[in-house]
Amino acid sequence: MADSNWLIEFPALSRDTLRLLQRSIDETFREFSRSYGQALEDFFEPLLWFMIWFERLLLNAPWWLVIAVIASCAYLASRNWKMTIGVIAAFLAIGIFGMWEDTMRTVSIITVCTLLAIVIGIPIGVMMARYDRAQATITPVLDVMQTMPSFVYLIPVVMLLGIGRVPGVIAVIIYAIPPVIRLTNLGIRLVDKDVLEAANAFGADFKQRLFGVQIPLAMPNIMAGVNQTIMMSLAMVVIASMIGVKGLGQPVLKAITNQYFSMGLFNGLAIVAIAIVFDRVSQAYGHRIQKHRQVGH
Amino acid sequence: MAKIEIENVYKIFGDNPEAALARAMAGEGKDEIHSDTGHTVGLHDITLSMEESKTFVVMGLSGSGKSTLIRHINRLIEPTAGRIVVDGVDVLTLNDADLRQFRRTKMAMVFQRFGLFPHRTVIHNVAYGLEMQGVEKRHRQDKAAEWIETVGLAGYENSYPSQLSGGMQQRVGLARALCGDPEVLLMDEAFSALDPLIRSGMQDQLIELQEKLHKTIVFITHDLDEALKLGDKIAILKDGRLSQVGKPEEILLEPADDYVAAFVRDVNRARVLTVDVVMRPPSLRLTTENIDAALREMQGHRDDFGYVFDGDDFRGVITERHLRRAATTNGNSSVYDLADDSQTVTADSVLEEALPTILQSDTPVAVVNNDGEFRGVVSKRELIRVLTEHREEPDEAAQEPKRTGP
Amino acid sequence: MRMSITAMAGAAVLALANIQPAAAADCGRVTIADMNWASAEFAAYIDKIILETGYGCEVELVPGDTMPTSTSMMEKSEPDIAPELWINAARTALDRAVAEGRLIYAAEILKDGGVEGWWIPEYLAAEHPEIKTVEDALKRKDLFKNPEDPDRGAFYGCPAGWNCQLTTANLFRAYKGEEMGFELIDPGSAAGLDGSISKAYERKQPWIGYYWAPTWILGKYPMVKLDFAVPHDKEHWNSCTALAECDNPKMNSWPKSEVYTVVTPRFAKSSPEGMAYLKKRGWSNKVANEVLAYMSDNQYTGEDGARYFLEKYPELWKNWVSADVAAKVKKAL
Repeated sequence: MADSNWLIEFPALSRDTLRLLQRSIDETFREFSRSYGQALEDFFEPLLWFMIWFERLLLNAPWWLVIAVIASCAYLASRNWKMTIGVIAAFLAIGIFGMWEDTMRTVSIITVCTLLAIVIGIPIGVMMARYDRAQATITPVLDVMQTMPSFVYLIPVVMLLGIGRVPGVIAVIIYAIPPVIRLTNLGIRLVDKDVLEAANAFGADFKQRLFGVQIPLAMPNIMAGVNQTIMMSLAMVVIASMIGVKGLGQPVLKAITNQYFSMGLFNGLAIVAIAIVFDRVSQAYGHRIQKHRQVGH
Repeated sequence: MAKIEIENVYKIFGDNPEAALARAMAGEGKDEIHSDTGHTVGLHDITLSMEESKTFVVMGLSGSGKSTLIRHINRLIEPTAGRIVVDGVDVLTLNDADLRQFRRTKMAMVFQRFGLFPHRTVIHNVAYGLEMQGVEKRHRQDKAAEWIETVGLAGYENSYPSQLSGGMQQRVGLARALCGDPEVLLMDEAFSALDPLIRSGMQDQLIELQEKLHKTIVFITHDLDEALKLGDKIAILKDGRLSQVGKPEEILLEPADDYVAAFVRDVNRARVLTVDVVMRPPSLRLTTENIDAALREMQGHRDDFGYVFDGDDFRGVITERHLRRAATTNGNSSVYDLADDSQTVTADSVLEEALPTILQSDTPVAVVNNDGEFRGVVSKRELIRVLTEHREEPDEAAQEPKRTGP
Repeated sequence: MRMSITAMAGAAVLALANIQPAAAADCGRVTIADMNWASAEFAAYIDKIILETGYGCEVELVPGDTMPTSTSMMEKSEPDIAPELWINAARTALDRAVAEGRLIYAAEILKDGGVEGWWIPEYLAAEHPEIKTVEDALKRKDLFKNPEDPDRGAFYGCPAGWNCQLTTANLFRAYKGEEMGFELIDPGSAAGLDGSISKAYERKQPWIGYYWAPTWILGKYPMVKLDFAVPHDKEHWNSCTALAECDNPKMNSWPKSEVYTVVTPRFAKSSPEGMAYLKKRGWSNKVANEVLAYMSDNQYTGEDGARYFLEKYPELWKNWVSADVAAKVKKAL
């Protein structure tokens, strides 16, 4: 009777086997956490100090100075007065509605995440573009990173590193880094083979090809990746606040638990405002450095 | 000694070229190897010698391996077997750093689709070679500006390539190649992407530059007219094998096989062949000033005209009729003065230019070089024979080029 | 002891009279509320197993939650049994219903009640026997070092948006946590709070913060509750400690939450034996934590938890039923 059951019911592993499997995976992870957790924490310590320093810098600086710096960054990147005024207005509104401190924390973590994503992501993208094997190995990893529900990796990250900024940044980066890697890889692969061959024929070495030809020509794609990475980091801020990351995510979370509609709305809008500022400025910068593409003859 | 020696080069594309190489060396055909092993024989036993300061043209249709071949010279492509020697150095023995140095200093390349850097301005494109050589910035900008001037693009220094027309872009490509002062210029279908009129202009410009620069040029083309116009020597490539190597007139007049014959059949020879190709020694040289002596000499000869020389000095042509009339009217005249030197053609002019002179003349026309020295004569009959040769003997086989393999 | 003798006597009478089938028939169909949290879940299954195998009832579990279930029981006598009802949530209504005879309180299922408080890990308590009270602990900011600010101590509070966030924050002020050099850290979520505990526990690091029992966390990672040194002051609690606007919080402690099994009169009448069982059934938080940890470790359901309990603690549950019923349950396991 039991023998033909597999035709009707899926021949799944027995509960005991599954339990054993799960237990051994959990145990292995716990063992890893016990053995290497401290080492990992030490490894990330410089990052932690940098983040704390940067956040304090933003929090302690006078608000008008912070706005002035952000506005001048926006102007330098876009060379567009309208956009710069929009940026100033957005940050003034955030301040007026009493969300300045949380916004500064969020801006600080987003900045760190974006910088890290660029520093880590672009070399990985370059490697993927150079070695097909690297591309074949890394692409599925990126797929997992993008589709795996973030709560799933939040738990192990917290077990390894506790709660707070560093695990928050790691969770955000896991979620947000794939676009910059993918688009760097794509951008470099799309660089005209003839142009690259010309560089080779003139005796360019690896570095000269990479920095002189490939990266400049892949820049529109890389910038699109950076832009997406920023957007995804911002989206992740709320989720990261579930593991103790301070910023606009926390009030949003609080609003969700208590159904404080207006509180959720204000903080949500503040996140949107930051997103628009980062998005427009980075896109304007991306366009500006690509001047030579838009001109025809 | 030749500047570039290519010796028994084989190139096989595929995962395991060694196995296919053995079969290719044993003489198996390209198609056979491809269907058995999936490997493509790109080049089959190529041996070529390219002279210094000459233009060597490699001609072939697409898929003949010509672009593969030119990339072997600066090792953008590695051969499966064989040697490539430039200035006595086997290029294949260079390590990465030496190879880069070799590419930076010895040779430069011009590409079919220009291969310009779209994110650099014209002047930065042109200065690229010098930049790779490590030349200091101000110096390379000056040099680049000179070359931009030379190719006629002054005023466009700060434009981006996308702002220029195709012809202008290839001028940038040419300037970029020349700016590093390479000994060898590799030109891969450099003018193929251009409109016919612009292409012809670029060819003229290249010829003009070469007269001054005397670079060793390797020029790849699929256009026989272009090959004949530019080449001091031409190699014809078919399916990765050499069909023929020779001077333009050798290719044109003595095609080695049906394939080449079919190729050259439609060429307008009058535009390609130069006078010296059809020139012969004069049948009769008259070296006397005396009319009677000259007449006597002429009577012992089948022709009724002769070419008059004062020592080595060519004085003109004279006919028997003319001599006799002079003998009866003015017996004391000098043959030297009577000779007609008004009708001459220069040795390196193409037949098309020489044609009117030759056709209007009753006698074969004297050929002189640029310094006016006599080189030979060219007759109407010889001229017509050369120009119409291939039409006289329509060859069925030549209609359809046959495979030349075993 | 008196109870168990009575029970045994009752069982003997039943056995002699051989009216077993009649008793079973009397019990009939019973519905039990299956609350959506783990401790209530395994309690519901323990009741289901014992009532079915021991008393021949026909048990159906219905999903439930505190408010909907208690309201439905009061108004419609459905379901029959709520094994684990946290009565603080609906105390006034429940008390009235009991007074009017619409509901009956059975045993206090959690003998220690639901407990909230501030805890430190057991190993830390063993290592530092001097830390007994909240004040003892708050003197040691050097011990509970904050990784993001080593000059201060880290106190893991209650996740944002929960009620306990207010009480914890007010008590933190009352006990001068900030002045003692501690930072009250918002863990963001229960998962964040749990993660901070398991991380500390796996590496035997110091930890101090808010938690509650019974929970699998406290079963898996045994902790010692710190003494607040004052009894629960209900009046101040309601007027200040539990409110967002509490200008001057005083020292206070959490009240014990009473957790009872609540039954409808219909069931009590139709199955007096079952009712007798429910009047005795209950356990300590230590046992509950242990079962919850076992469930959590194996990612088990309430039913698995119930079976584990019945196998692991026979000396406990055999006191709730007659020897005869006990034998039947044991046989069925």
